[in-house]
Amino acid sequence: MAAWDLTVTVEDLGPDAPPLQISVASDLHIGGVILKLVEQTNLKKDWSDHALWWEQKQQWLLRTGWTLDKCGVHADARLVFTPQHKPLRLGLPNGATLKMRACFSSSAFRTVMGICRVLNLRHPEELSLLRPVDEKKKKKDKDSSEELYDLTDVPLTAGSVQALYNGMPAHFADSPKTEAVYKMLSVSLPSSAPEAIAKLYRPASVVDKTHIHTRWLDSSRSLMQQGIQENDKLWLRFKYYTFHDMDPKYDAVRLTQLYEQARWAILLEDIDCTEEEMMLFGALQYHIGKLSLSQDMVSSCQGMDDLESALKSLEVKMVGDSNSTDMLESMTAPELNDYLKIFRPKRLTLKGYKQYWCKFQDTSISYYKSKEDRYGEPIQQLNLKGCEVAPDVNVAGQKFCIKLLIPAPEGMNEIYLRCENEKQYSQWMAACKLASKGLTLLDISYQSEVKNIQTFLSMQRSNSAAPAAQTDDSINTHSLVSPRYQKKYKPKQLTPRILEAYQNVAQLSLTSAILKFLQIWQALPDFGISYFMVRFKGSRKDEVLGIANNRLIRIDLGIGDVVKTWRYNNMRQWNVNWDIRQVAIEFDGNINIAFSCVNADCKVVHEYIGGYIFMSTRSRQQSDTLNEELFHKLTGGHEAL
Amino acid sequence: MDDIDAMFSDMLQEMDLLTQSLGEEAESAPLPKPPSIPDPQEMNFSIGFTDLNASLHDLEDNDLDALMADLVADISATEEKFATERDTFTGSAPVAPKPSQPQSNFSLLASTDTSRPATSYNSIAAPPLPPASKPSKDELEEQMKADKIKLALEKLKEAKVKKLVVKVEIMDGSSKTLMVDERQTVRDVIDNLFEKTHCDCNVDWSVCETNPDLQTERGFEDHENLVEPLSTWTRDTENKVLFQEKIDKYEVFRNPQNFYLWKKDKKSLKDMKDKDKEQLLEENFCGASVIVPDLEGVLYLKEDGKKSWKQRYFLLRASGLYYSPKGKTKASRDLVCLVQFDNVNVYYCKEYRIKYKAPTDHCFILKHPQIQKESQYIKYLCCDDEWTMTLWVTGIRIAKYGKQLYDNYKAAVRKAAGSATWANRTIQASSSASTPSPTPKAKAANGHAPQPAVETKGSGNQTSFPPPPPSMEILPPPPPDHMLPPPPPNTAKVNKFPPPPQFPQSSFPPPPMDDLPPPPPPPEDAELPPDFLPPPPPSLTSNGGEALPPPPPDPFASLPPPPSAPQNFASAGGAPPPPPPPPPPPTPAPAPAAHKPHDSVRKVAPPPLKRTTPQLTAPSGGDFMSELMTAMQKKRSHQ
Repeated sequence: MAAWDLTVTVEDLGPDAPPLQISVASDLHIGGVILKLVEQTNLKKDWSDHALWWEQKQQWLLRTGWTLDKCGVHADARLVFTPQHKPLRLGLPNGATLKMRACFSSSAFRTVMGICRVLNLRHPEELSLLRPVDEKKKKKDKDSSEELYDLTDVPLTAGSVQALYNGMPAHFADSPKTEAVYKMLSVSLPSSAPEAIAKLYRPASVVDKTHIHTRWLDSSRSLMQQGIQENDKLWLRFKYYTFHDMDPKYDAVRLTQLYEQARWAILLEDIDCTEEEMMLFGALQYHIGKLSLSQDMVSSCQGMDDLESALKSLEVKMVGDSNSTDMLESMTAPELNDYLKIFRPKRLTLKGYKQYWCKFQDTSISYYKSKEDRYGEPIQQLNLKGCEVAPDVNVAGQKFCIKLLIPAPEGMNEIYLRCENEKQYSQWMAACKLASKGLTLLDISYQSEVKNIQTFLSMQRSNSAAPAAQTDDSINTHSLVSPRYQKKYKPKQLTPRILEAYQNVAQLSLTSAILKFLQIWQALPDFGISYFMVRFKGSRKDEVLGIANNRLIRIDLGIGDVVKTWRYNNMRQWNVNWDIRQVAIEFDGNINIAFSCVNADCKVVHEYIGGYIFMSTRSRQQSDTLNEELFHKLTGGHEAL
Repeated sequence: MDDIDAMFSDMLQEMDLLTQSLGEEAESAPLPKPPSIPDPQEMNFSIGFTDLNASLHDLEDNDLDALMADLVADISATEEKFATERDTFTGSAPVAPKPSQPQSNFSLLASTDTSRPATSYNSIAAPPLPPASKPSKDELEEQMKADKIKLALEKLKEAKVKKLVVKVEIMDGSSKTLMVDERQTVRDVIDNLFEKTHCDCNVDWSVCETNPDLQTERGFEDHENLVEPLSTWTRDTENKVLFQEKIDKYEVFRNPQNFYLWKKDKKSLKDMKDKDKEQLLEENFCGASVIVPDLEGVLYLKEDGKKSWKQRYFLLRASGLYYSPKGKTKASRDLVCLVQFDNVNVYYCKEYRIKYKAPTDHCFILKHPQIQKESQYIKYLCCDDEWTMTLWVTGIRIAKYGKQLYDNYKAAVRKAAGSATWANRTIQASSSASTPSPTPKAKAANGHAPQPAVETKGSGNQTSFPPPPPSMEILPPPPPDHMLPPPPPNTAKVNKFPPPPQFPQSSFPPPPMDDLPPPPPPPEDAELPPDFLPPPPPSLTSNGGEALPPPPPDPFASLPPPPSAPQNFASAGGAPPPPPPPPPPPTPAPAPAAHKPHDSVRKVAPPPLKRTTPQLTAPSGGDFMSELMTAMQKKRSHQ
């Protein structure tokens, strides 16, 4: 067979080195080509990760047993000899950028699997890679300005079971640097400044939300095939909104990153919520942020969290057990006694606050005309059990009021208690809060409740004094809500509202707070819907198709109303006509729909539908084994055939 | 030390006081003749513990009679049943004459103080008893003291449990009266009512409250406690508790498509496959968070404090009920929250067209459970038709209770299925026991047996009762019925224990004791000399021990420890009602010990059931102690 010259660029010889010419015959297999190539470079190094990339055809020549003929390589081919694993800048859900090696030669799906293995993220099938938003902005803030975590030195391990060391996967425990990376991954990052949030891109409409789907990588093709270069930036995101088998024990990173993605989705108005919900999200963020700060490296791992909860339950038990001794020591239960000003709003009266001697005992407040009268009958006794407690506070104005709505057969009794100062307020407020839940001052949570209230008050103080100042202790409440609410409310208006919501979550542990956040997020009506701009067959206008884990939704662009819903369990089959790029779906009862995608590729729609069907096939038993073949079958499209 | 002594003598005094006051009651209480029955309220007051609701006043004479008749029936039923069982069970033991049966049975379990019952004891192949040594006087005194303390503890513990006598109206116009204690869930009460009414026990039965002032009705959810909402009723309330079938209670779980796919046309929903329904439930109730039906539409809202009703576009979200203000879109950010569900319940309303000039009669309100009268804090809503109202009320219940609702439903279904099984069984049981009306509790316990998972925390004695033996062909013992006021102590005491065949240690678990080191196992106790005080669990000595003489609440709660045996036993013998077993044959040494406490116990006759309940439920010794302390303190503050 005739020999001919093959031109191959070897990257390791330097960017300016001329391509090598090697003499080959058509029946030489790829492995032989590589061998010849390596001999000719005279470089002694580990070439095992290198492979041939065929530039014109945009494909890898990975089958070393195939001959050049079989691959279709002729003399005009320009090949590049390059490593399969290259550094990639990975934008994580929490906003941090992590530099790490990723596979550029296997399908994006496998690449994500590899990345997730390094990051210790279970269920990689739920995540995918996408191109970052708006490359234009990059010019302004140079890459050097962004904080970069580096994991490129960490080898990609093949084993799926990770040994734990110091509460983290062993490969993170190598150096302080990698430990810091693990901390970044597994502990929620502090809130960004409100200005920074306001600067970020926010989708303003459903149409805007459809644009994200132009950016997803095709999961059945390799990164290199999709034009991703070494050191390019890609985002890693949860793509399918079904989170299988979430277990705080093993999912420290997964839980944190999911929380971060949810948090940003809410802050950037990617998912709509009501004001009440936003306040609760804000309160949870504040709480999670505070707990995350107080966590040190080791405690970020789950073992510590378990310990914490164990301690807590022990504490509770101890309280149950020791009550008797406690009470013997002080046969009188603890009480609060002080002069407070009381105000009962009544119709047509403008009476102001009047001072009384107040006694807080068990779950009741009794008030007397003066301290001297305290042994007589109280003017009134208010049982706070089941009541609503709301703060009415303005630190700058030195106003510390507690608003009580005490249920009575005739309705709610509205009563205001006015405290003199922060200390008094936090004590009485905490007592009222506990009493409303039927707990007394004896309860262990009393002290922490008092402290929580004080912290929050100090936050408000620092806000009103210097809005820009941001220390670890005080977070600007504006950074907890989306820009819409930043505009709508001043911090001093926002703080009491978040404080109000905060009181219901202040007792949660870090993990429970994160779970609670995710829970509320998942309960939002619009949760888990991915929007695509499509044009239905026979229709003349663009419409929006929402794809969720169990259904397809047709949305009218004009009014934003749901026109029709189809559920997957009524779906007979779906097909893609790759030539005219049209998706056709058949449902039970002879319902057929067909549409083409306006901005995104129809492969993405295909992947979403197939992906969700794949997700629904997962079962708890086989949670560790990923049926990659099935995923590819369901999402691969014509490549899979 | 002084403190401990003072404390101790205080307790004794208190106990004496109690026993005295109770003794007076004891004379008349167990008599089955209605006229001499003390009014339950009075009785409760005389005990000085129970917080009785004013609704008691409503109890009519015939209700009381019925209650008492029930009781007496129970007592004799248990008595007879018990006797028969004894015959069946202790085949190897000499068949004693009926009156003495409880004794020998008792000795089977406790069997420490007398050598006489050793016959039956040995027949169970337990280690032989050491010869009964004569306890010294000190020991005797100590034991008396211990017994007294125990008694006081029980009573004080009991003092904390709130009970209500509730009259429940049944659809057919009749009514049942039952005692509900605060630990019982609505589910327990329903089960109880199943026993009493012999209805078909389907999942739709619910306990509802009606308020004639507001013209509202609400079905209690199965997991709720009944006593709490009822005790917030006003004194002069005309509110009622009903027991009736409510189809919409669990309709959402039978036909989820009607709620979750309500937008689809009705025809396609009608013949939905069961598999698809299950999947709908799975999707909406089994995920990380419960998905609330995406209800939205126009409802009428009664303006605050005004008479007019205004149309608004409402949306239901997990976080609350919202409406979109005029001129705004229904985008989430523009929604106005009408109410969040943490502090309110949802009530169906009747005839609001007349009462409030509502556009239709299909109204519901949202209010704090304690509000009983018209108020500006009530949200009044009106729907176009009944189905819409059902949709919204159900949706709000899902938003409020979440997965709990589904759990309730599954438990109810299991219960309904199980009821068929145990119904058969009780028929056998009752026929062999030759009692025409089986004791309710026995049935309940049996009903629980096949599905222990269903048992709820609130069901006091049922859960803490050692599970009935697997060999169900033999008659299960009639467990105590603490739902009802004073049956004679002997039944209560004796029945509390598992039947003889169960005795061998393994089948005798002390269920609720996880928090504490296990109590001394029975065989050990049995080997102790008769009057030996069972060693208190270590944690108690370290904990409450410094302040208190260490009573052994632990073994007492689950097992009859030796010292309590003669006492209970004696009381069993001494109590008047139906087939009165004679007092125990005087045994050499423990006789005085057994008699002294006997007196005090006998006087306590009326409330023994209540006494047994809390100790059975006592989760741990420590808790028990703390409860005692709380109660003590409460008492003090009253003095």
